[in-house]
Amino acid sequence: MMKRFTSALAGAALAAAVSAPVLAASGETVKTIQDRDSLLCTGHNGSYLGFAEVDDKGKWTGFDIEFCKALATAILGSPDKLQIIPVSWAQRFPALQSGDIDVIIKVTGWTMGRDTELGLQFARPYFIGPTNILTRAELGATSAADLEGGVFCINAGTSIERIVADYMGAKGISYEALNFEKAEELRSALYAGRCDALAGFGPFLAATRFNAPNPDDFVILDEVLALEPEGIAARQGDDNFIDVINWMVSALLMAEEHGITQANVDEMRANPPSSSIGRLLGATPGIGDRLGLSNDWAYNMIKAVGNYGEIYDRTVGEGSPYKLPRGLNNLWSKGGLHYTLVLD
Amino acid sequence: MKTILKNSRTRNRFIQGTVLVVTLGILLTFVLTTRHNLLEQGIATGFGFLERSTGWPINFSLFEVTANSPYADILLAGLLNTLLVGVLGISLATVIGVIVGLMRISDNFVLNLVGTTFVEVFRNVPLILQVFVWYAVLTHLPSPRQAISVFDVGYISNRGLIVPSLDMSALDIILFFIGLGLAGYAIAAAGKTNETLKRHAWSAFGAVCIVLFLILLFSGRSADAPLVNIPELRGLRFVGGIAIKPEFTALLFSIAVFGGAYVGEIVRGGFLSVDKGKIEAARGLGMTAFMVNRFVRIPLAVRAILPALTNQFIWLMKATTLGIAIGYPDYFMIVSTSINQSGQTIELIALLMAGFLLINYVLGFTMNWINKRLALKGQAS
Repeated sequence: MMKRFTSALAGAALAAAVSAPVLAASGETVKTIQDRDSLLCTGHNGSYLGFAEVDDKGKWTGFDIEFCKALATAILGSPDKLQIIPVSWAQRFPALQSGDIDVIIKVTGWTMGRDTELGLQFARPYFIGPTNILTRAELGATSAADLEGGVFCINAGTSIERIVADYMGAKGISYEALNFEKAEELRSALYAGRCDALAGFGPFLAATRFNAPNPDDFVILDEVLALEPEGIAARQGDDNFIDVINWMVSALLMAEEHGITQANVDEMRANPPSSSIGRLLGATPGIGDRLGLSNDWAYNMIKAVGNYGEIYDRTVGEGSPYKLPRGLNNLWSKGGLHYTLVLD
Repeated sequence: MKTILKNSRTRNRFIQGTVLVVTLGILLTFVLTTRHNLLEQGIATGFGFLERSTGWPINFSLFEVTANSPYADILLAGLLNTLLVGVLGISLATVIGVIVGLMRISDNFVLNLVGTTFVEVFRNVPLILQVFVWYAVLTHLPSPRQAISVFDVGYISNRGLIVPSLDMSALDIILFFIGLGLAGYAIAAAGKTNETLKRHAWSAFGAVCIVLFLILLFSGRSADAPLVNIPELRGLRFVGGIAIKPEFTALLFSIAVFGGAYVGEIVRGGFLSVDKGKIEAARGLGMTAFMVNRFVRIPLAVRAILPALTNQFIWLMKATTLGIAIGYPDYFMIVSTSINQSGQTIELIALLMAGFLLINYVLGFTMNWINKRLALKGQAS
């Protein structure tokens, strides 16, 4: 009975929350979050390996979760002031519009339809989702051309089928496409050696490799067949919130570019080697008050979660079980696509 | 009016006509409403997409299909794939079924036990599970580089069985079988009047077979091309020869074995249904065991078997749709992928239904025709 009463209360609270975004739409999302003293961010219904994983104690980890923590720290000063709301892929957009969540950080591709028809506003891409090739290490292949004549396992009915056909056709590489409806069959066909390679979304391949009986038997090629920029999405019409997210992503990248890590951030702040580092870490004011945040938000954030590279390595990269190569998700100076905005 | 309705014939016609008109009206409403809703949502309708190129390839087809082929081609390839695995699967199932059925009714203890075990094992395990098991077995064979060599001309690996192929196109093979059919029909027809030909019908058929084969083999080929194409390992794959893919083999095996168990029971039932009195009567007339079988038992049993067998054949043809589970590009899988890629759901579902309806109708029609030909004259069937 008590349970039913509380759930009714929760329902009422939810109804109130649903009406709240009408105010938030005029640029009040940050204020709503500050008043609530908690950020409502996206999780997953189950575990999406590497990006949003939940353990048996309900503790969330992963690349997207780290960005949720970073945003919570930037706005509220602590990574603990965060509630992860589990939503499915399909639920994420209605959940944002109804105010159940404040922001979508859930490997969400920036598409025209979502940007316009669904009423979303995307901040700058924080992850580049590549279509890669996972292949058997014993074949010694270093590029798609080395897989000439090989069998490619591909998920039937997905855009990957066309991406591979276009890419291989343009390069004049012959291959045999073996299409499976289900991811489980796809994986077991690769593990059994029925196919020489598996083409798909990079992080999915990393998880496939990790789940293999012996992960060292498989390698992900650096070659990118196609890519999809993943952005953090908020409700349309809240410019200030989008500014905060853009500068949050930029600050994480800037920290990596200047070699500021979770370990040395205190020292860097005490003795900034350059004036821009001083501005970033709040040794000299400007980074916070222009966004309506405290001047040490970037310092707090880096102290809590580290820089972009540290987050990547810890969750999906070298320091994680998945060993997804940095590839295009590296800084531009290291061959990737990420760059920082100019902090003046 | 009343008097017209009192006539039972007119009344019945009137009722039937009304039911027909109402049914057609409902169907028409469905079609028009769907069409209107689709147009409203801006979804394209019609079969224009059949001419557009697919953009995705399949790995197994009887004629060449690429990513640039139109949907019509890839759908036809899928239909042929279904027919190939279905017809071969049903043929094998029949052979296995007859053997197993005869084992089950034999007095030999060992044969009986083997037959019974076969039926109990393969009839009681779900077909999809058998498909997975066969497929797992086939894909866990060695890789092409460690392939098992069969006298250096054929290879067995997890890419399938690679065997040498003759320098003949698919068209040549189709022509060969059409020619054989015509020759068989002609010989049978001529044999009715010509006693010499009737006696040597099989030799004549064999001679036609060889001549036709040689003509097709040597016609229209470039002089330097080898007659037999022997496969060899080059890079990641075998070049030359014909590859029989594990997806195809696994599906074929499963349908043959699972179908064989059912057909075996149908055959057994058919033989057991033959009246004991008739067998005894035949023996009483002094027939040998062979004659009893040839002229009494088998003809009677076949008549009992055919109707049930038709059902089973149609069932097995529909079971080819399990190909989607292991990546065999049968008609169902091609339609399903096409729906995802083109978005033309309703048109493709209609084509899917029409395809299976056509295949199974032809199958059922042929079986019923055979059944009628065999039925005892004067007996109501």
